[in-house]
Amino acid sequence: MSLEQKKYLKKRRLNKIKVLVCQIILLLGFLIIWEILVNKGVISSFIYSSPSRIYKTIIELINNNNFFIHIYITLKEVFISFILGISLGFVIALILYEFKFLAKVIDPFLTMLNSLPKVALGPLIIIACGANIKSIILMALLINLIVCIITIYNGFLGVDEYILKLFKTLGASKYQILTQLVIPSSYQTIIASFKLCVAQTLIGVIMGEFLVSKQGIGYLIVYGKQVFNLNYVMTGIILLGIISYILYRLIIILENKLLKHL
Amino acid sequence: MSNLLEIKNIFKNYHTKKGEIEAIKGISFNIKKGEIISIVGPSGCGKSTLLSIISGLDKNYSGSILKDDNLKIAYMLQSDALLPWLTIYENAILGLKLKKMINKKTLEYVDYLFDFYKLNEFKHTYPKYLSGGMKQRVALIRTLALKPDLLLLDEPFSALDQQSRLLISDDVYKIAKKENKTVILVTHNIEEAVSFSDKVIVLSKRPSEIKNIVTINFINQESIYERRKDVNYHNYFDIIWKDLDIDES
Repeated sequence: MSLEQKKYLKKRRLNKIKVLVCQIILLLGFLIIWEILVNKGVISSFIYSSPSRIYKTIIELINNNNFFIHIYITLKEVFISFILGISLGFVIALILYEFKFLAKVIDPFLTMLNSLPKVALGPLIIIACGANIKSIILMALLINLIVCIITIYNGFLGVDEYILKLFKTLGASKYQILTQLVIPSSYQTIIASFKLCVAQTLIGVIMGEFLVSKQGIGYLIVYGKQVFNLNYVMTGIILLGIISYILYRLIIILENKLLKHL
Repeated sequence: MSNLLEIKNIFKNYHTKKGEIEAIKGISFNIKKGEIISIVGPSGCGKSTLLSIISGLDKNYSGSILKDDNLKIAYMLQSDALLPWLTIYENAILGLKLKKMINKKTLEYVDYLFDFYKLNEFKHTYPKYLSGGMKQRVALIRTLALKPDLLLLDEPFSALDQQSRLLISDDVYKIAKKENKTVILVTHNIEEAVSFSDKVIVLSKRPSEIKNIVTINFINQESIYERRKDVNYHNYFDIIWKDLDIDES
C-alpha cells in the first residue's frame, strides 16, 4: 500500500471517529443539560422527568418484571404487523401490476385511504375486533399497508424499458418476465419500502396500544398519563426512540447484504 | 441467392389522443442471406418501429413480411440491457435460459465466445464492474449464443464512446461475415452505415418512405477499418448525406 493510500485511509477513519465523538457529545450533553435544568428547578421534574428518574423507572420496571414484557409485546406487534404489511403489500402490488385496469379503477380510492387519518377508524376497529392484539395489528396494518402497496407498485412500474423489451424479444412468458425481471429488479424499492413500513408500523402499533392494550410501550405511556407519573411517559418515549433506531439499522444492514452488487 | 426476408408494402399508423400519426408509408425491400443492411433516417422517422415490425414484436401494421417460419431472430438494443443482479455469465446465458435452450452444445458455444472476446476473467463478476464497451460485448455474446439467422441491431453502439464503438462494430461485422449471418442495423450515423454494411436504405422523415437504397462496394472488406480507408468511402457518405437532406428548420 502506498503512503498516500495509507494517509487517505487514515483520514477516512479519523473522520468517522470525529463524527461518532460529536454524536456522543451531543447525546451526553443533552442528557446532562436535561438533568441539570431539572435539578436546578428551571424546568419541572414532574412534567419533563429527568435522565436519572428515567433510569430509576427502568430499574423499578425491571424489578417488577414489567420492563421486558412491555418491550416484548410492542416488538411482537411491530413484527407481526410489519411482516403482514410487507407481504400483503407485495401481493397486492403484484396484482395491480398484472391487472393495470384494476389499478386504474382503484387508484383514487387508494389515494383517499392513504390520506385518511386512520386513527379516526379506532373506535370502529375496537368494536369490530375487540379489545385485544387483533385491533392493534389491524390499526398498524391500516397505516403501513397503503404505503407498502404504493412504493412496491411504483418499483414494479420502474422496470428498465430496454430490459423489458429484451425479455419480449427473447420470447419470455408473462411468468418469466414477472419472476426473472420485475420482482428482482424491484429489490431496491422493496427494501426502501421496508424502511417506510417500519416507521409506519411503529406509529400504528403505538396508536393501537393507546386505544386498547394491557401491556406494551404504548400502554406504559397511557398508564403514566393516567396516574400522573410522567416518568413512565418519558421512559416510554426514550424506549421507542431506541427501538426505532435499532429497527432502522437492522434494515440498513439487510439492505447492504442484499444489494451488494446493485 | 434467394431472399431470406421479403418486406412488402409496410404501413403503420400510430393513434394518440391528439390524432393519427402516419409513421411508415409503404416500405418494401428484400434481404438476401448473409447480407448486412443498414437503415438510416432522421430521428423519429420510424426506423426502430420498422425493426420491431420485422422482429414480430409489433404486430400492428399492414403489409406483409415473408420469412421462413423457423428463422431465428435476435435483437440487440441501444442499451446493453444487462441485469445488474446477475453475473456476467448468467447474463450471457439469459436468452438461452428464457428460451429453454441450455444444453452442453449451446454452453460450449458460450464458452467459446467468452474466450473469443477475452471476457473469461469477468465471467463471475457483476455488470457494474465492467466498462460500457465490455458490457455491450456481453450483450453481443448473449445475442450470438442463440445462433440467430437474422440479427436486428437497434443502434447498439450509440451509447458507447467512439473507441469502443469502432471496436465493437468491427466485432459484429467480423462475426457476421465469418458465420454468414444476415444483419439489419438501424443507425443515425452515416459513417457507421457506410463502413458496416453491404446496402444502406435511406428513409425520409415521417411518414417514412424509402428515399434511396445505396449498394456499397469496397475492394477490401476484411474489417470496418479497411472499409473506411477505401477511396469511395467519402463518395458513399456524400450520397447518403444528400439523400437524408436533413432539414434544419
